[in-house]
Amino acid sequence: MKPLDELDHYEVLEIPPGAGFDDIERAYRMTRAAYTEGSMALYSIFNHDDAAVIRNRIDEAYRILADPEVRAKYDAEEGITQIPQLDQPGAPIDDAASAARLGGSGRGSAGSPELSAAIEVIDDLGGAIDEDDQEINGAALRRSRLRKGVEIEQITDVTKISASNLGYIENEEFDKLPASVYVRGFVHAYARAIGLDADRIAASYMTRVDAVRNSPTR
Amino acid sequence: MTGSNYGPEVAGRRQAPAVGARVISVGGGKGGVGKSFLTANIATCLARAGHRVIAVDSDLEGANLHTCLGAPAPVESLADFVAQRVDDLGKLIVDTPIPGLRMIAGTHANLSDAQPTHLRRVRLMRAMRRLQADFVLLDLGAGVHSAVLDYFLVADEGLVVLSPEPTSVENAYTFLRAAFYRRMRLAMVGHGVRKLVTTAMDQRNERGLRTPLDLLREIEAIDSADGARFVQTMREFRPRIVVNNVRTAEDIKLGFAVSSVCRKYFGIEAEYLGYVNQDDDVRLSIANRIPLVEYRPKSDASIYLERIARKLSITGGQ
Repeated sequence: MKPLDELDHYEVLEIPPGAGFDDIERAYRMTRAAYTEGSMALYSIFNHDDAAVIRNRIDEAYRILADPEVRAKYDAEEGITQIPQLDQPGAPIDDAASAARLGGSGRGSAGSPELSAAIEVIDDLGGAIDEDDQEINGAALRRSRLRKGVEIEQITDVTKISASNLGYIENEEFDKLPASVYVRGFVHAYARAIGLDADRIAASYMTRVDAVRNSPTR
Repeated sequence: MTGSNYGPEVAGRRQAPAVGARVISVGGGKGGVGKSFLTANIATCLARAGHRVIAVDSDLEGANLHTCLGAPAPVESLADFVAQRVDDLGKLIVDTPIPGLRMIAGTHANLSDAQPTHLRRVRLMRAMRRLQADFVLLDLGAGVHSAVLDYFLVADEGLVVLSPEPTSVENAYTFLRAAFYRRMRLAMVGHGVRKLVTTAMDQRNERGLRTPLDLLREIEAIDSADGARFVQTMREFRPRIVVNNVRTAEDIKLGFAVSSVCRKYFGIEAEYLGYVNQDDDVRLSIANRIPLVEYRPKSDASIYLERIARKLSITGGQ
């Protein structure tokens, strides 16, 4: 165990030396949130001053590692050899990073850092889960969203789709939703926002919508 | 939490994990964070996955695991083993309504029963490993009594349950700190070093040992071999975090933050195992004395519980 002032920037952010840019971004957001003023996780362990010192180290680590040129210079000075891992699925990587990458299809397109962070949190804990849902219905979407720890409001922030429409999609209140072409777009954006395979999800969901809307009783 | 360098007191911990049951303890300091709820439901998930599971209620003062599992209030319980009225732990096993899941209840000890001695606790842990089961889930009591800490430390895995509230976080850290120092003290050989660890356990100690790192520096100055043992024991101490009663994405992230604090403060790897959302059906399931994963198998909370159980059964088998 090393004291804070002896940790290198990778250790401060709790990532391996070969971490890719996405991992650095994500680790920065997570650790920064953990040591933010008033964070519950600090309670009774780190006081204000401790937390401030740690935050400074986190900011400094990010400033250096997020800039490829500065990072390369730092690595050279510290004698850190980077094993490029980003595009090598077989390379040894730590659990969190690998989970984030494995569940990471469509990542980065979501826009909101908070949402991405929330998605990544959940990916770490179990990976993608939609594969066990054969047919995508509103309940399955909702479950996926909750598993990823994402609130409806966060999806609204990112997609600009109203919370009520998102609610109708989850509750399958098709009669309250607009024309199918819009619904397809909504579901696509929803799925993408929570890191699912948007094309597959939208197609599967629309078969349900179409089945109801085209049924002769209507 | 496997390893051999833990100290003479618990030298009986098994060396070959392939034999005997894997003991998973569920603790966390605070009462009411859902230790029994989690124990009952994770045990049920493991049993449904085809494992032979025995849930053990070690909370003799607040036993209620049998209620969570829908088992009848037992005539004999763990208290009888602890008080040496029953010598064969296996005789205390009773069935639960869930196939593959049995339990040892912990109904209230006689008030006259003394606290179990350390030796008796070690015997209990050995007996648990010898039970005919794949998993033994050990529901711990609240607080940081030495018995609770011993059960937590000697198990193959220790889960620390907390909910997203300051009181619970504080108690979880108190629990982790107590477990950490107890384990460290047991691992130290030198008398002076042991005394030093005892001093450091008091947060307001006169020697100004604020953090585990301060302690390590002092130990290294006294005895480098004990210093190395300290570092090694740190590496082997790997509790896992579960956050119960989450409501928001922010609550979910708490587990990661706690895990990071454990790393930066204690120098230990405390993996975030999973979380369970707040769900009103939990209360109903307990009132109906049916584990939630049986009562509402499709609920979000059940899905999260299953995920925790799956992760436990896959990892940590070492």
